[in-house]
Amino acid sequence: MSEGAATYRVARGTRASRYGALVAIAGLAVLISLPFWGGRADMRTIVEIAYYLALAQLWNLLAGYAGLVSVGQQAFLGLGGYALFVFAMNAGVHPIAAIPLAGIAAALFAVPTAFIVFRLRGAYFAIGTWVVAEVYMLSFAQVSALGGGSGMSLPAAVVKGIAAGRMWRETAIYWTGIAIAVGAIALVYLLLRSRHGLALTAIRDSEEASSSLGVDNFRTKIWVYIVAAFGTGMVGALVFLTKLRISPEAGFNVVDWTANVIFIVVIGGIGTIEGPIVGVIVFFVLRELLADFGSWYLIVLGGIAVLMMLRAPQGVWGLIAERFDIRFFPVQRRLVFDPASFRFVADDREEDKRDR
Amino acid sequence: MTALIALEGVSKSFGSVRATDQFSMELEDGEALGVIGPNGAGKSTMFNIITGAVRPNAGRVLFAGRDITRAPAHERCRMGIGRSYQIPHPFANMTVFENLLVGAAFGGNRSEAACYEDCHEILGRTGLLEKANALAGALTLLERKRLEMARALATRPRVLLLDEIAGGLTEHECVALVETIKTIHRTGVSIVWIEHVVHALLSVVSRLIVINFGQKLAEGDPHQVMASAEVQEVYMGISAE
Ligand SMILES: Nc1ncnc2c1ncn2[C@@H]1O[C@H](COP(=O)(O)OP(=O)(O)O)[C@@H](O)[C@H]1O
Ligand SMILES: [Mg+2]
Repeated sequence: MSEGAATYRVARGTRASRYGALVAIAGLAVLISLPFWGGRADMRTIVEIAYYLALAQLWNLLAGYAGLVSVGQQAFLGLGGYALFVFAMNAGVHPIAAIPLAGIAAALFAVPTAFIVFRLRGAYFAIGTWVVAEVYMLSFAQVSALGGGSGMSLPAAVVKGIAAGRMWRETAIYWTGIAIAVGAIALVYLLLRSRHGLALTAIRDSEEASSSLGVDNFRTKIWVYIVAAFGTGMVGALVFLTKLRISPEAGFNVVDWTANVIFIVVIGGIGTIEGPIVGVIVFFVLRELLADFGSWYLIVLGGIAVLMMLRAPQGVWGLIAERFDIRFFPVQRRLVFDPASFRFVADDREEDKRDR
Repeated sequence: MTALIALEGVSKSFGSVRATDQFSMELEDGEALGVIGPNGAGKSTMFNIITGAVRPNAGRVLFAGRDITRAPAHERCRMGIGRSYQIPHPFANMTVFENLLVGAAFGGNRSEAACYEDCHEILGRTGLLEKANALAGALTLLERKRLEMARALATRPRVLLLDEIAGGLTEHECVALVETIKTIHRTGVSIVWIEHVVHALLSVVSRLIVINFGQKLAEGDPHQVMASAEVQEVYMGISAE
């Protein structure tokens, strides 16, 4: 059958991924230059979209790949937010530099938290993560040094320390937001393309089979949980750097930091990188459209999510990918056979069709 | 010589069902062992106990002399226990090639790139090369069963546990499967094969165990075991094959 060792190679890219990368780079260049020609309101909205995109990617990594349906990621978001205030106010760290430190702080808290919640399975895990997040909220409300139940504001001196002039401060935060969103996507993408990605996708598809093939499911999940906490903590720091004020209520808010994020991932399509990107667009468009309808907004959002889960559990991206057979993030490994060795051809379009 | 696998007085109950009852057996290194028994006799449960998918209520599991009763499934795989599931568990949204890579990289404890050559070769050997880039979820049942075996092979096992992989095959496919298993066995991999297609089983194994109600009903030379009165009784109809 084979004509020596060189009759095949392993390919990753798809035609869509190559064009997609070009479009993404162009789009990113436009976004990075926006502070020089765009409005301040636009920048603020884009930062919000950016951090929701990052949160959605991280939650998708947890739930969509590792099967960890956490309803308590707000624990790490709030921790990251508080860590930013502590580092910037009490330790004199530059607020932007404090963001990765806040991520590390959240990851450190994730270790003992994992010991508690990883004893629970399925629905109990979900409820357990929520309860732990509530415990964090109640605990932070007790700490008077952190403003207790009413929280605290970032002093003007600290805010001024970000950069000289309001324009540069807002630009710095804006670029940080873009960097965190791109970083979250890159993290998930590189993770999935690596050897760990094989384990994660295997766990997503069948935990029983992955363990019988040598994958340490538990260890993989613990690491994913800690990495997700790290990213969520960084996002938390960014969120409260834009808000300049934190309270237990705002930091550990289950609707803002978990319900919305679950909506985004479920609508967009769970278990893919494209899904959360599509979901975040849908989420912000709906929010714009329903802005005048007050609490109806949440009811409509919930209704759409339920309908989606029943009718199209693969999400909007899942429907698109099925219909048009495209993938922008080439995480799949394909065997491509040498054109010289009969039957298989190295044409892109053919490859893309075959692996469906 | 210590046995490669030994079960010592192993029992497992699911509620009131005694799936495995005071069961003991040994597999010599390099041996090919057949296992038969009626549906629900506890054959697959015995595999689950060996691989760690199920913890026994009593008894010990040994691998190459080492007590692995409490070892997790992934460690047992890395030690060299490969298995195929009776009901296939493919990674449905991964390609066939990637399914093999999982076993090769983690079960075989290798870097990903170090697995490519092996996986390519195993795909060829198991007749799945043409399906290499197909999603595993799109395979037919027969292809899924082949994938179960291919994936287990990719982990570089010392022993391969095969659970009913010949059912539903045409005569021609069955002959090809038997050849594949014989080749695997010749390369030094020990085999334990649970199979209802007795004639295929007998052309590979040198010893046979019959399980009934979670207990060992008979054991020994395959043809003598098949001819024994007890087995004839349990196997009315099937023995005609
Ligand atoms: N995970 C399980 N939970 C409950 N009952 C089980 C489980 N696995 C097997 N059983 C029961 O144990 C008995 C033996 O099953 P099994 O080992 O699959 O038999 P065989 O493979 O010989 O057909 C059956 O009665 C089956 O219903
Ligand atoms: Mg069975």
